[in-house]
Amino acid sequence: MADSSGTTLMDLITADPGPASSASGSTANATPSSASASAAASQSPSVPMTTTSSSSLGKTILGEKKSKRATLMQIQNETISAAKAALQPMKTNIMPQKQKKKPVSYSQLARSIHELAATSDQKSSQKQLVHHVFPKLAVYNSVDPSLAPSLLMLNQQCEDRTVLRYVYYYLARILSDNGAQGLSTGGGIPTPNWDALADIDAVGGVTRADVVPRIIEQLSAEASNVDTEFHARRLQALKALTYAPSSNSDILARLYEIVFGILDKVADTPKKRKKGVFGTKGGDKESIIRSNLQYGALSALRRLPLDPGNPVFLHRAVQGVSFADPIAVRHALEIISELAMKDPYAVAMALGKVVVPGGALQDVLHLHDVLARVALARLCHTVSRARALDERPDIKSQFNSLLYQLLLDPSERVCFEAVLCILGKYDSTERTEERAAGWYRLTREMLKLPENDSKSSKDKSQKTRRPQPLIKLVMRRLESSFRSFSRPVLHAAARVVQEMGKSRAAAFSVGLTDIDEGVSINEFADDDFNENPYADGARKASSMSGSTGSKETIASLLASLMEVVRTTVACECVYVRAMVIKALIWMQLPYESFDELESIITSELSDPAWPAALLNDILLTLHARFKATPDMAVTLLEIARIFATKVPGKIDADVLQLLWKTCLVGAGPNGKHTALEAVTIVLDLPPPQPGSPSGVTPVDRVSASDPKSALALQKLVQAAVWFLGENANYAASEYAWESATPPGTALMMLDADKMVAAASSRNPTLAGALTRLQRCAFSGSWEVRIVAAQALTTMAIRSGEPYRLQIYEFLNALAQGGVQSQLSEMHLSNGEDQGASGTGLGVLISPMIKVLDEMYRAQDELIKDIRNHDNTNKEWTDDELKKLYETNEKLLDIVSLFCYVPRAKYLPLGPISAKLIDVYRTKHNITASTGLSDPAVIATGISDLVYESKPAPAESDGLDDDLVNAWAANLGDDGLMGKSAPAMSRVNEFLAGMGTDAPDVDEENIVSRPSVGYDDMWAKTLLESSELEEEDARSSGSSSPDSIGSVETSISSHFGGMNYPSLFSSKPTSYGTSQTSERSGGNRYGSSSSIYEGASSPIREEPPSYASSVMQRHDSFENPMAAPESSSFESEDESRRNTSGNPQFGSALYDFTAGGDDELSLTSGEEVEIEYEVDGWFYVKKKRPGRDGKMAGLVPVLYVKPR
Amino acid sequence: MLRLRLQWPRLFFLTFLGFHSCRFNGVPAEERLHWRSFLVKLGADNLKHAKNEELFVASHKSVYIVYTVLGDICLYVVGKDEYDELALAEAIFVITGSIKDICKKPPTERTFLDKYGKICLTLDEIVWKGILENTDKERIKRLVRLKPPTEF
Repeated sequence: MADSSGTTLMDLITADPGPASSASGSTANATPSSASASAAASQSPSVPMTTTSSSSLGKTILGEKKSKRATLMQIQNETISAAKAALQPMKTNIMPQKQKKKPVSYSQLARSIHELAATSDQKSSQKQLVHHVFPKLAVYNSVDPSLAPSLLMLNQQCEDRTVLRYVYYYLARILSDNGAQGLSTGGGIPTPNWDALADIDAVGGVTRADVVPRIIEQLSAEASNVDTEFHARRLQALKALTYAPSSNSDILARLYEIVFGILDKVADTPKKRKKGVFGTKGGDKESIIRSNLQYGALSALRRLPLDPGNPVFLHRAVQGVSFADPIAVRHALEIISELAMKDPYAVAMALGKVVVPGGALQDVLHLHDVLARVALARLCHTVSRARALDERPDIKSQFNSLLYQLLLDPSERVCFEAVLCILGKYDSTERTEERAAGWYRLTREMLKLPENDSKSSKDKSQKTRRPQPLIKLVMRRLESSFRSFSRPVLHAAARVVQEMGKSRAAAFSVGLTDIDEGVSINEFADDDFNENPYADGARKASSMSGSTGSKETIASLLASLMEVVRTTVACECVYVRAMVIKALIWMQLPYESFDELESIITSELSDPAWPAALLNDILLTLHARFKATPDMAVTLLEIARIFATKVPGKIDADVLQLLWKTCLVGAGPNGKHTALEAVTIVLDLPPPQPGSPSGVTPVDRVSASDPKSALALQKLVQAAVWFLGENANYAASEYAWESATPPGTALMMLDADKMVAAASSRNPTLAGALTRLQRCAFSGSWEVRIVAAQALTTMAIRSGEPYRLQIYEFLNALAQGGVQSQLSEMHLSNGEDQGASGTGLGVLISPMIKVLDEMYRAQDELIKDIRNHDNTNKEWTDDELKKLYETNEKLLDIVSLFCYVPRAKYLPLGPISAKLIDVYRTKHNITASTGLSDPAVIATGISDLVYESKPAPAESDGLDDDLVNAWAANLGDDGLMGKSAPAMSRVNEFLAGMGTDAPDVDEENIVSRPSVGYDDMWAKTLLESSELEEEDARSSGSSSPDSIGSVETSISSHFGGMNYPSLFSSKPTSYGTSQTSERSGGNRYGSSSSIYEGASSPIREEPPSYASSVMQRHDSFENPMAAPESSSFESEDESRRNTSGNPQFGSALYDFTAGGDDELSLTSGEEVEIEYEVDGWFYVKKKRPGRDGKMAGLVPVLYVKPR
Repeated sequence: MLRLRLQWPRLFFLTFLGFHSCRFNGVPAEERLHWRSFLVKLGADNLKHAKNEELFVASHKSVYIVYTVLGDICLYVVGKDEYDELALAEAIFVITGSIKDICKKPPTERTFLDKYGKICLTLDEIVWKGILENTDKERIKRLVRLKPPTEF
């Protein structure tokens, strides 16, 4: 982009017939050599570009070895001499051999500056500088430091104001930090990194480090010049100085010194301002100069870092409030309001005098500077809410009344800011109490009549007639803003309403849950919706009728406001509409009918103009709304459903799933079914099945018709299927470990008919989910079928008997492919095509079936054993018990490979085994869930949480059932909003508005996860698996619709792309938040990858998360307890019971070649000592140096077999 | 703070405001490209038939964008924190006003580039280290000519 646009730009710039072009001809001969020299400089960086004549050319090249300072001086001298030489024949010319359309190169411009600087006393060169050289130089991204000497010279010698102004401008650019990276704030045509060039001596070896001290020197000398005639330049010098890098403490100290020096002079002098607040046109010269200096000093101070502890700093800023210059006042207020965030007490004390009526702060109300008043609003808000000032209510109320006065400000900007401040939103931190209090303030305190007659332009007509409560004026104001034609105003007004909704929601939630605050809040809520005693006196003025009778209430005010808000949906700007919809969502109350909102959203979504990012934003808003009011789960799910059906191609499956999950957890027992239903609706979307039962409109088909959205839709379906598998048990509250039916009896009823009937009668929710999944396993696309099969397995393992058996049967049928007779009834009822020739899932399913097989076989044996023992009436021997226990553990391990089960409670051998295992455990002193040696618990990463929060969870019976079940469903963080889930952090981030993130333009890259190390792992599993070797995923792929070639990639992309959010999930987000809470991530990755693990080596009894932790090694996956466990990845039997304390030894399985400095090469068979594990890597030590001569370093976990 | 780009047929002129948390001026380099493509897309979608100086608004997370068309120039102002839509609208108003003053009328590419140096200086007075500075036109003019902000 740089090059193409650059040339055109330069064409344009140089193509102009400027006045200087006339001078070209005669001087052309004077500079050909230099022109070529500089042209060369731009190409080959080894030639100095400051040469101006052929004689000096040689000299500079020779002089390359000189020190930089010498070079600097030399440049300057040469510049002068060359320019003087050039002066003799004729006046200089900036563009030798000027041809139209030939771009001016940077080096030419630079050279011209050097030349012209020497002759700056001449009018013509000044003219050239002003009209040609400087403007064209501005097009470049940055200017190189070697120009500095000439610029400084110009600065000293030139008298022309315009030249000087440019000089300050460029000096500031050289000073500014980012210039050095070649990526300055300047934009424009990119320039190289000058310092890097200087290092190779290309631009005369001048770096910023060389020139910056000189520039600072000269500028600070100017900034300290007290000559009154000089003071304009003084201000500019000060301004340029503020661009100096603030990381340099020397420079900073100097700047403070200068600024405070100026303020010392000008701030304290007895000022008889007051006659002109607006810049004093007719003031005496001295006071004007003083106010100019005050302005310059405060503006500079504003750009310097805050110095919170410094009383002088605060003192000066407070003085600034009384300055005559409006911008100085603004900066002073901004500084103070920032300081007030840190130390409200000191600020309030310092402001003591100016805040009183008649003081300077009152004057600010009349100041013609919007931002000053905005800063004032923030200041007032901060001070009046400060905890530190609790014992000084007088001060607080002073600031508060000031804030209320700002509500009547003529500028919308100020008014809105004041409203936001009152609502408790003034920075990005969201605190419910603060918000709730904000709503209380807005609706209660503001019912007071406005204080006296502070000026108000727009509201004047009303106010002169009769005083009205503030709230009403504010509402009016908002309503009138919604009638504005300006999009920014509409957007801002909608935002304010949204914030109102947030505060209101917060107020309600606090009122509902918190007893202390509940009293007042409930009371106000009653006021709100019945009648408002305070509004009584106010309503006379208005003819508006309230919603509850003739009284004017806040409710009626809100109703009329919302009416206006709704009409704003007609705005043609999507962003405004999005903001309006967000406002509507926030203002929606749980018990209000949401038909209107629903229809608005439905019609909005039919508009193709909506960008995907915006839609996802709204989904996140739904999520946030749910967080604020869990009661609204059903409503919000309805809305989310509209999104899913209307624009499946545009929404992010991640976000939608997050919403489902949160709603599912929060919905409460009876909402769960609804939540699950909302999910299943996605499965009924058109492409998978043409004749879907739900009301699908043609819109869907249109939107899913293009390949991109079809893909997105498929992702959505995948997500839904996965979600069902993970959470169906939770939603249905059906768990194997709570199942009443003993497995033995269930084995008897092998009749499919009866089974299904029994299942659906016992738990319709689960049965429904099961049916959906079964359908998906048959009829979906290849990816969907995989996920469906996996989901079914999860359910089978977690569910109690009739379901497990049902799924077992189904999977068996699926594995045989095409054998559908057993299932005919089930599928006829769905009335769809199951796919002609099998499902291609055989290989994937067989490990799953194997697990279930093993479980049933073990159960059989147990029953046999028990019968034997009963018959012979003999005690269980220790060996027998041990065998039983080991079987139990083994099965547990296998099972945890597929999905998470609570180890302490889960009994793969059925309930009858519980007693025997207990006996063995007590005998041998094994606690059921010792946690550390319990891979499943660690796998989910919740062990830490559990063992921290619950002191004695080891007694398995002590575990809260709900909690256990919640874990099982991945929903662990009981309190709805997991603090640790990164998906949540994304939401929080969204809410908090971490705005600096650049927008994602590329919509489809939302989930891009590096599947690093996957190949390794894949190869690994191929090598490793003792059975099923011959049928790896390739064969499964070949029987699937996809071609062989694409299978592997599609699997790996499957790995890479399929990360569904869950409360426990960790998402290596593209948003760059630090993933400190990654530890809970294992489960999700585990379950999404376990299927592949299982496919090739089903017996590896390892919590799958470690497989994924290897994959994820570049994400900051951290599991403090991972070390011993992940080592068991290779062979769980031996190492599972390793404790973390002892040093571990292992042997290298394969050759490994170090890929980085900290890595260590291994030769297969080498003995190593494992120090620790980090992110899927072992830090190992060897006895003797290996191929790479190193003794210790990092190796992938997979390459070492621990012992 | 200021970007100039040839976005046929319009120039792309972008100012960042309020990105000074931790006193940072502008946006990180690695985000610039994102911003640029985001804004170009925004402009391409919306600015086709826009009238001169008709204000458009957009937002991304908590960042606000106000943009408009002035002759051949697409003008974007991006801000956050206290620089919300309304403050940005004011800023863009000042900028368009100054550009019009300098170029005498809604600028073409030609005139805009001819006056580019002066426009840079003007912008330098309007936005100083990512903070909106002067909004008064007379004052800006004086400062560009290296006169004191308030004349005596």
